[in-house]
Amino acid sequence: MSGFFGTLTLNKKLGLLLGILGLGALVLGNPYRGASVTIDTKELGRIVETETDHVSVEELANWIIQERIDFRLVDLRSDSEFTAYHIPGAEQVALSTLSEHGLQRNEKIILYSEGGIHSAQAWLLMKAQDYKAVYMLRGGLDEWREKVLFPRPAANPTAEQTAAFEKMKEVSKFFGGTPQDGAAEQPTAVIAMPKLMMPSGPAGNTPPGSTTKKKKEGC
Amino acid sequence: MSAPFYKFGLFGDNVSLIIAFVIGIGFGFFLERAGFGTARKLAAQFYLTDLTVFKVMFTAIVTAMVGLFYLSRIGFVDLSLVYLTPTYFLPQVVGGLILGAGFVIGGYCPGTSAVAAATGRIDGMVYLGGIIAGIFVFGEAFPLVSNFYTSTSMGRVTLPEFFHLSYGLVVFLLILMAIGGFAGATWVEKTMAAKKGGGKE
Repeated sequence: MSGFFGTLTLNKKLGLLLGILGLGALVLGNPYRGASVTIDTKELGRIVETETDHVSVEELANWIIQERIDFRLVDLRSDSEFTAYHIPGAEQVALSTLSEHGLQRNEKIILYSEGGIHSAQAWLLMKAQDYKAVYMLRGGLDEWREKVLFPRPAANPTAEQTAAFEKMKEVSKFFGGTPQDGAAEQPTAVIAMPKLMMPSGPAGNTPPGSTTKKKKEGC
Repeated sequence: MSAPFYKFGLFGDNVSLIIAFVIGIGFGFFLERAGFGTARKLAAQFYLTDLTVFKVMFTAIVTAMVGLFYLSRIGFVDLSLVYLTPTYFLPQVVGGLILGAGFVIGGYCPGTSAVAAATGRIDGMVYLGGIIAGIFVFGEAFPLVSNFYTSTSMGRVTLPEFFHLSYGLVVFLLILMAIGGFAGATWVEKTMAAKKGGGKE
């Protein structure tokens, strides 16, 4: 046998090795891991503590304005709420169908709900399934409304705060909101949410129920 | 920690560029060492006189496949995190044909043209210029072809999923194809060489 092996050229030896590895693969079957998962509770706790699981509404607003397409924005609210208003570019996914929605585990996913509870619950479910880059929108749609759509200046603003507010006014207008800078002061409850048509730019206006096609980086 | 490391572990975008640079230099070096920096060698593939390109490419494919398969079996790689290019059947067939036609006409594929240009070959530089012009034209004309570009979408699909076979079986079949392909290619080269030699005499 060793004599036979000695007569082979290097190419043939490599071919033989390849054949053996192939037979091994035939036996071993599926390289993907199964459905069962383990949660590293300590690691999750650390992520929560250091708040690296959040994206702020200002950050998200900037990403949308910059037309970034490296993330998927997931709206966890009901159909009717989604139809009434959603953040431009968002796709609606029900909590119960999260794993069937075609979200890839290597995609950057931003979750939001009305406040923060549903998105936090969805975050934990997805983390348990080892979605790597899933984040919550801090404060949810409530904070989006408060800080992006209808921002208010601080009570006794410093120069820094005033500058920041001026910037937010522009952001707010981009998303069709109304900055509350005192001139046309109205209570927030009466203010109508901006029409879905308002935000300009290609990132906006997803018809309800459809999934946004994101172009991803290829090779 | 398991691979892939990019985005999910050791490093992010910036470091990935440095690593891509190092891997790119290595890739170019070995393409050049394999003789792929010259259009004659590459074009010989289409005359069936030298099938090195086929052998090198198929070797790369099965090596990567076997490596990924076994590394993920022992838990070092999480395959579900590896990026898969979505399949758009017809556009990709057409794109492949265009690339192939360019390969025959120009004597290079995109990677080898960069190698040829780097070693100072003028045809390689012209080819690179053509690539850049092509990218520009495609980018400008994209609205005209965007409907076709995204047609016949099949999503992120793999051979085992598509044919409902086990992953191991597909790996095994591809290895059989590769070994058969290597043997066949060597046979074709010998036959062609004999023919050529016979013709000259």
